[in-house]
Amino acid sequence: MNQPPRDLRTRLARRRLLQGVGSLAVLLTSPIWRPSTAFGQDAGAPAKKRFIGLFSPNGTIPSTFFPTGTAADAPLTLGAILAPLEKYRSRMLVLKGVHMSSANVPQPGGPHMKGPGAMLTGGKLLEGSFPGAGGPAGYADRISVDQHIANRIGTATTFRSLEFGVRVEGGGPLEIISYRDSNQPNTPVEDPWAMYNRIFANGNLSSTQLAKLIAERKGVLDFLKDDIARLKPRISASDRARLDAHLTGIGGIEQQLNQTKAACTPLTMPAKFDHKDIANFDKVSQLQIDLMVLAHACGLTQVSTLMWANADSWQYFPFAGVNEEHHTLSHSGDSDTAATDKLIKINAWHSGQVAYLLDKLAAATEVGGGSMLDNTVVLWGNELGVGNSHTYQNIPWVIAGGAGYFKMGRYLQYKDQNHNNLLVSICHAVGLTDTMTFGIPELCTGPLTGLT
Amino acid sequence: MGRGGATGTGSGTTGTGGNGTGTGGSGAGGATTGGAGGSSAGAGGSSGGAPPGGTPDGGAPDPCQGAAAETAPTTMQLLTREQYVNSVHDLLGADIDLEAVLPDAQDPATFGLVQGNVAQVDLENYLKAAETAAAASIATTAKLDALAPCAASTTDKRSCARTFVQTFGARIYRAPVTDAADIDRHLVVYDLGATTSYAHGIEMILRAMLQAPRFLYRAEPGTSERVAPHAVKLSSYEVASRLSYAVWNTMPDAKLTTAAASGALSTKDGVANELAWMLRDQRGAKVVRRFLEGWVHLSSAETVVKDKQLFPDWSVATFRTSLRTQAQTFFDEVLAAGSGTLSSLFTRQRSDGSGQGVLTLPAVLGVLATARESSPIYRGKFVREQLLCQELPAPPPNVPKPPDVPPGVSTREKFKQHDADPACSGCHRLMDPIGFGFENYDAIGRFRTVDNGAPVDASGEIIQTRDLDGKFTGIAELSQRLATSAEVEECTARQWFRFFLSRFEQSADKCSVQRIVNQLHAAGSDLNALPLSLVGTDAFLYRRPVDEVSP
Repeated sequence: MNQPPRDLRTRLARRRLLQGVGSLAVLLTSPIWRPSTAFGQDAGAPAKKRFIGLFSPNGTIPSTFFPTGTAADAPLTLGAILAPLEKYRSRMLVLKGVHMSSANVPQPGGPHMKGPGAMLTGGKLLEGSFPGAGGPAGYADRISVDQHIANRIGTATTFRSLEFGVRVEGGGPLEIISYRDSNQPNTPVEDPWAMYNRIFANGNLSSTQLAKLIAERKGVLDFLKDDIARLKPRISASDRARLDAHLTGIGGIEQQLNQTKAACTPLTMPAKFDHKDIANFDKVSQLQIDLMVLAHACGLTQVSTLMWANADSWQYFPFAGVNEEHHTLSHSGDSDTAATDKLIKINAWHSGQVAYLLDKLAAATEVGGGSMLDNTVVLWGNELGVGNSHTYQNIPWVIAGGAGYFKMGRYLQYKDQNHNNLLVSICHAVGLTDTMTFGIPELCTGPLTGLT
Repeated sequence: MGRGGATGTGSGTTGTGGNGTGTGGSGAGGATTGGAGGSSAGAGGSSGGAPPGGTPDGGAPDPCQGAAAETAPTTMQLLTREQYVNSVHDLLGADIDLEAVLPDAQDPATFGLVQGNVAQVDLENYLKAAETAAAASIATTAKLDALAPCAASTTDKRSCARTFVQTFGARIYRAPVTDAADIDRHLVVYDLGATTSYAHGIEMILRAMLQAPRFLYRAEPGTSERVAPHAVKLSSYEVASRLSYAVWNTMPDAKLTTAAASGALSTKDGVANELAWMLRDQRGAKVVRRFLEGWVHLSSAETVVKDKQLFPDWSVATFRTSLRTQAQTFFDEVLAAGSGTLSSLFTRQRSDGSGQGVLTLPAVLGVLATARESSPIYRGKFVREQLLCQELPAPPPNVPKPPDVPPGVSTREKFKQHDADPACSGCHRLMDPIGFGFENYDAIGRFRTVDNGAPVDASGEIIQTRDLDGKFTGIAELSQRLATSAEVEECTARQWFRFFLSRFEQSADKCSVQRIVNQLHAAGSDLNALPLSLVGTDAFLYRRPVDEVSP
């Protein structure tokens, strides 16, 4: 009777799901996938928008990342770092001159630490107890753009959003880009098997058993909400805020229990390997991307993020021909050509992973036609512009996909724009055109010009 | 975290001034943890009956005497992963296996002081853990009978469930469950499962209780008993939880709960009495060692990354664990009766002959280094922030580009630029010259006399301190200086405050911190005196009224 842990995802038997869905095929070619079917929306409805946020650490090599030329708006050409994305050159934007200024606002935390918190929030870090220069830091002080988007377009799916990690190692501000709210980090799940269980749980239950489980869980959640209501009047205002955050988390679980319409062909995960082993970094990356795209294709979510390692990462890249540690390399001097070559390889490896993601999105057919990539806005950022100066200027932003909103295939050079404006543009691209400011208001003037 | 993490700092600190002036207990052992007799200073003054080595407070004057009780605002703490697992084991048996359903333990920030709010994924993990633990707890008739007995002949099973809610509820919520409406709420959940069976009804109650905020958080509403304009008493049950989670890292047991119920925890003396046996209990015996482990961030030794080619040993988990064990053994030696002094911590020879003092422990030095090289920065920063409780300024947003370093120079040589460039030296002179003194130890803490072909120069300097300034050579000389420093002693007291109360000290805690400093000093800097020194403070015994925001 010691049952295996059940996960939260409720799932109907496959045959029930297939009823009424039609014959919409998603061609998913990853080794772990069988041909699958897209779910989660009605044929004929306007295509759903999706957002995927990506993070890689320790800055870039600007001279290789950014194309040459000074034109504000030029056709995109790809240097050695972005070369693996050549196939998607016409579906990408590279932005220069977009600074992560909110990381420069006075706040605690070390130089690498401030980046992840700022990247999608346009905000800054709170005080806390994570060691860093300028006082110990806490988590970011406001909601991140993925969660803002999820609040609007993620309410009808099983998961509001899913946060993936590849060897992020921890749950501090170096390791978080997604924030549900101020001081409410969405810690990425870095174990692909745990994520798999989360997404595809309870598949072995009959519909009767599942209905019972859902009813029982809802009963317990009602009890918990009542518990919070009884506790709140007795505690301080700041503690009440902690319980309010708890309530929003419960709301997300209730959403899961209420969304039982989607499921996918059961998958075969590869035999378990150590997802924390440095040498398995590339394998975990592919597995997480597979799971992410599948979760989207199955209609389980429309918003997700993925972090490759963490800010300040000490990852080695033997599979990319670099058997040295990333962070130390990133502090090498500009004329250290050996180090520069290695950093180019590391960054190019990440481009290859982005290309792998785009391949999967392009191969997945949406209900109503078109590929998932057509409807997805992918934003790839970094905690720094350059590792060896800790600058937040000229973050190596890449936008891909575009959801039919951005005019792609270009290299745009801005003059000192704050990335808050970029985050507003991202909102517009996924249909949130009424979002006119994001992050710290003083840093935001509205969407970036020239993107559409 | 991929970095040398043992570098926590304080914020909102007290700025307490000089060191305590107590002179009573010189040497070792004075007021040790036992505190036998437990007659610590009652509110408003010290009592007589001094044990050998000083007064009950170790001869230290009570800096809070005559002042209105004061304590800073506190935040409701979520049980840490370890506290959660320990509590579930205490409640339902150590055979409950939650490792498969909970995410891996993460290196907490310094003592896990400041917590983020929970997010959905965290609650999903609690849900899974609760369902797993609940199922295992009623898995057999014997287990069910032990947990929630109900005679087979009983027709009113619901009354058995009601008894269970009250008895088990008092344990898991760490306070009596008496409110009728509250009990009925639990029975509504019971009814959901009881349609299947009594066992399933109990299972449903367990699922609910194990996810209840009253269990997961340590809410401390306090009492209405005001002891000062800005301080109220905690309830006895809240004091019991503070004690047990700090000393044992788990929930109160039956004996401590009985003490709370009897009112024994409502006075300073009473708290000291209970602390005495809690420290003798095997769960409490290692509390100071646990503090030292957290202070030097020992768990990072298991996770920090090293270059496999250069340090093949380090990639073997058992090697890293052995370094951690070596450190724990050393801490045990330091804390053994009669020698638990700060001086011993910094200078004692390790019994395995591997060196002396905490600062030459490979588990510490290895964390304070990069994957390939020693790090004078991390090491200097550790001394400055962890041992002196100083806060370093933030680096400028755009640091100057690093110089091109010719290959094959020593680590020390590489960092010369920090000294040469005024944009760097402002801060780095506070760190690097201390770290240079550690240069006899490589990236995994092995002794060396040559670094990259150059003879090691382990001369260092420490500046901008109260009583440590000056040049030194090597860790041994630095350790000697740290061993007798009043600034280190005060920092030790502050770190203990953070560890024990899970929060940073603030200005309203000034008096409480000073009391710990004074008692530590009066006890001859015996680290074993720390537990007793804190439980008599306002910060431990009281809280700010919940409706009050700030001083």
